[in-house]
Amino acid sequence: MTEVTTITEFAKLGAGIAMGFGAIGAGLGIGVATKGLMDGVSRQPEVAGKAFGFFLLGAALSEACALYAFVIAAKLVGLF
Amino acid sequence: MEHWLYSFNIAGHTFSVNLDTIITMWLAMAFLIVISLIVTRKAQMVPSRTQAACEKIMEFFWGVMDTMMPGKNRQHVPFVASLFLFILTANLMGQLPLRIIHLKHGELASPTNDINLTAALAILVLIYYITAGLKAKKGKFFIHEFSFQGIIMFLVELLEMFTRPLSLAIRLFANIFAGEVLVAICLGISAAFLPIPVMIFELIVAFIQATVFMMLTIAYVSSAAQTEEH
Repeated sequence: MTEVTTITEFAKLGAGIAMGFGAIGAGLGIGVATKGLMDGVSRQPEVAGKAFGFFLLGAALSEACALYAFVIAAKLVGLF
Repeated sequence: MEHWLYSFNIAGHTFSVNLDTIITMWLAMAFLIVISLIVTRKAQMVPSRTQAACEKIMEFFWGVMDTMMPGKNRQHVPFVASLFLFILTANLMGQLPLRIIHLKHGELASPTNDINLTAALAILVLIYYITAGLKAKKGKFFIHEFSFQGIIMFLVELLEMFTRPLSLAIRLFANIFAGEVLVAICLGISAAFLPIPVMIFELIVAFIQATVFMMLTIAYVSSAAQTEEH
């Protein structure tokens, strides 16, 4: 019984660690995407609208990495 | 977060379906079908207001297809457009106050918070782009050239046939599911005003995720179906 409890407690710890490391990658990715958007817009202000659409697409794609980690974390905690 | 599981037996095998997902999915489908039936019945040369709006939507899809996939692309528009419209309707349904209708288990929310539905959509995309590639390139779709590089490329593409639907399904599912968890956590902190900005953010996410799904589908189909000029 105690072993089972320990394992579920450690699973919660692992879920936290997974979320944290996942967020590092997504944060870096969105930061790089924003840098690219700023560079492009400051050079050519007239493409701002079009570039923002592609920025949103890239940000959503890199944010998905954090969400993969979230799925694993939710699975570890037993959310679904 | 829990689903209303319904099990039944067919020839000794037990099958389970998530009834709440099926109800909300049929609601989304019924909405789209009724709207399109109403709009397309009395089409006129001088369009009415609703017809003009729907023609604008179709022109949006044509524009996206022309930029992402130049050349012969009109036969892929129906699939891509119905994917986008269905996913958008399904995502936005999660923000409707459907949860006040109580079910036995689970709750009426966005149907895309169930990984079974998103996986089904992703497998549809897989079948569609393999079919499009086979139609366009015949046997050369699988094996480009019989050399070392050709075999390596074949193996990589075989791996992609597994990872592409997986990432498509998990991306859509996780975005919607994470949004619901976020709203639930904010409700736990303060039920008064805290969930409102998160819900507005979820509206934006619904559009972005539908767009991302459509863009990736177009990219996969165009990489499979288009023959490169030598």
